[in-house]
Amino acid sequence: MRDEALNITNQTEASLRIVGFLCNWCSYGGADTAGVCRFRQPPLLRIVRIPCTGRMDPLFVIKALAQGADGVLVSGCHPKDCHYAVGNLYARRRLEMVGRFLPFIGIDPRRFRFTWVSASEGQRWQQVVTEFSEVIEKLGPNPGLRSHAG
Amino acid sequence: MNTLQSIVESIWDQVDVVLGWRVGYDPLHPVPTFVRDRKDIASLIWNPLCAPNLSVFLAKFFRTASQRDKKIGILAKGCDSRSLTALIQEGLVDRDRLLIVGLTCPGTVDPDALAAARTQSGPITAVAFANGMVEITSADGVECVPLDRVIERRCQRCRHAHPVLYDVVLHDFEPRPVPKDPFAHVEALENQSLEARKAFWLKELERCLRCYACRNACPLCVCQDHCLAESRTPKWVTQKDTVADKFLFHMIHTLHLAGRCTECGECERACPMKIPVGLLKEKTAQIAMDLWHYESGTDPGARPPLLSYDASVTGI
Amino acid sequence: MNNASFVSHAELADLLRRLSEQAEVWVPTRQAMTPHRPMFRPFQAGMDLDFQPMPVTSAKGVLFPQGEELLKFRKEKSLSEATVTTLLWEDPAVFRPTIVFGCRPCDARGFLVFDRAFLQGSFVDPFYKARRDKNLVVSMVCPEPDAACFCGAVGSHPADTEGSDVQMIPVKEGYVLHGLTEKGQEFLKNVENTPSQAQQEEARQVWTSAQGSVDSGASLTDDAQHFFKRFADTAFWRFHTERCLSCGVCTYLCPTCYCFTLTDETNGVHGERLRSWDACMFHHFTQEASGHNPRPTKAERFRNRVGHKFSYFPEKHGRFACCGCGRCLRHCPVGMDIRAIVRALGESEEVHD
Repeated sequence: MRDEALNITNQTEASLRIVGFLCNWCSYGGADTAGVCRFRQPPLLRIVRIPCTGRMDPLFVIKALAQGADGVLVSGCHPKDCHYAVGNLYARRRLEMVGRFLPFIGIDPRRFRFTWVSASEGQRWQQVVTEFSEVIEKLGPNPGLRSHAG
Repeated sequence: MNTLQSIVESIWDQVDVVLGWRVGYDPLHPVPTFVRDRKDIASLIWNPLCAPNLSVFLAKFFRTASQRDKKIGILAKGCDSRSLTALIQEGLVDRDRLLIVGLTCPGTVDPDALAAARTQSGPITAVAFANGMVEITSADGVECVPLDRVIERRCQRCRHAHPVLYDVVLHDFEPRPVPKDPFAHVEALENQSLEARKAFWLKELERCLRCYACRNACPLCVCQDHCLAESRTPKWVTQKDTVADKFLFHMIHTLHLAGRCTECGECERACPMKIPVGLLKEKTAQIAMDLWHYESGTDPGARPPLLSYDASVTGI
Repeated sequence: MNNASFVSHAELADLLRRLSEQAEVWVPTRQAMTPHRPMFRPFQAGMDLDFQPMPVTSAKGVLFPQGEELLKFRKEKSLSEATVTTLLWEDPAVFRPTIVFGCRPCDARGFLVFDRAFLQGSFVDPFYKARRDKNLVVSMVCPEPDAACFCGAVGSHPADTEGSDVQMIPVKEGYVLHGLTEKGQEFLKNVENTPSQAQQEEARQVWTSAQGSVDSGASLTDDAQHFFKRFADTAFWRFHTERCLSCGVCTYLCPTCYCFTLTDETNGVHGERLRSWDACMFHHFTQEASGHNPRPTKAERFRNRVGHKFSYFPEKHGRFACCGCGRCLRHCPVGMDIRAIVRALGESEEVHD
């Protein structure tokens, strides 16, 4: 029954999945630019649009990875380019913290990455997604804690 | 010579209440007490069994002062004084409202370790401390155990046995020397593979009852009745009795304490199932030290790293 | 006594292994990481059994699991209608028989409080009943009551047989078992050996000395009747609960606390209705949908806990909702002593804020 549900939400169940948390003001646009320019990208990414990386709760990272996301990618505006001036400066400290914490609880830190991509950097976006997808493909599926959930 | 009682007497006119410990239901379990009556000063005690961190009551119950209020007197071991400092740093308690009686601390006793170290079995009727030894009296007689052998894990790694912030200090006990490697327990786990670490946490957290004692005993868990763990909208964790849900609850606690935790170890002490939840927070404290050279609760003027930023840093 | 059986220390594991073929046998086991805090777990071969210290958890999870699925549902979207929720009724799970082996007499009596709540009112809880019908309790004469034990003050003693089907008495070479109920007699057919004269005699002595080994002062009955007199004495409750952390250790470890909450846990279009433990010490316990909370602080919450255990429940059902195991006190991070509060109810001294 659970499989049925997965099929509804995800047609390509067998494939790996990366959850991308993208800032509305830059990386989300960057991803759009990449699409408009028809740059080829691996199909692993599922995008969650956030208002700013400052909205990024480090728990999002851990919850996604615990629930079996194969990778988590966070991308926002370059430092000093934040739409809200300093959201990404807070974010990078939090994300650095959670990235270093992951291995302590037995989660491979390579499954998590944060980076900065502006709205005009379609090419760079393609590069980021391709590189990270390669890493995730090499790592294979992430069991997370799914088998330990009810 | 100063005694606990003489110090409290000397500050009595400046305070409304003194937070301290008194004898509990048995000699092993002193309990927090709130002294408002001068005659109760005599009931105050301080020894290595006085484990509870009294600063837990400050942000939770003494947050707002009325005009007429005098100060709050509070007894604070080294770790407790760090918690006080962190509360002051975050504006949760006003320094001017506190009169801190610092206590040099030899480490607190782990009752389980004490039970294990004993050779006798009769119920304990009295415990005394002298010259680094714990003297246990029971119906079977008196026996002595070195304090070092029965100290809690949190104290084995303590870097601030001498309080960091106080108005008066009571030097009843020799402060425990700073250990060579305060993060030895963290490193021991890190020497294992990722798989082994995950297995370790799943095995430990499986015991969790979600009684939330770790959270409620934490002086810096200040969300009070609005904890994310019990919120239904948004819903982070379900009510299910699965290790995945328990795991997520502990992640909430840990990450909300990241860069703030003062390593007092109350979460771990409060846990009835003795899950080493303190380790999780120790790791975040270590990361904060590595990244920002920041040690929480040591400087009342400092800003916690995750509540601030540094625009000058480039490259990440 | 004809109905006595004997199992030696050496045979115990084998007995449990045989029993676990017919039933889930919950035993106190020692955990490698926490050697002083045994827990009840389903028996598995090679387990490290430990009957000596009082287990940190009670055995209540056997009959009242911390999280229990009551039903499943599915939300479906049809083209013409808005979301339709379909309930998928499944036959209640067929529960395996369970045996609680080697709990304390206080734990066994704890189940009697559950029985009142779940079986003997106007509504019978089918889940609890299905479990209870197939359950057997083997309690052990308490070898070592500690300073937190107070079964004596709630009308019991460390060798009490109430609520047990079988009583086991620890002797030097093993355990002498007595069948107390029909179920218990039936159970003893699994144990072939009978105790020797000397072992019987030793068991009698252990029983007698255990019976008198808890002196918890006078019964709490007299003090408990002053509860309503104190009910509105806010200063009293504030004073006595000031150090409480409002966590759930006391209620979750308590063998008699049966309060639960119902939640719908959804996952995509699927979901289940869950019954899980709740604790009256939590703020959310009485939080109403409007936002109003009739028990806004720990003083009201603790008053309710005392009232439920020592006043409302006994008035309705004729017994304390407390078995005196002392876990609430033993494991409380700040040593909240419910005995002391009940005793203070009757004291004349006024408490001022």
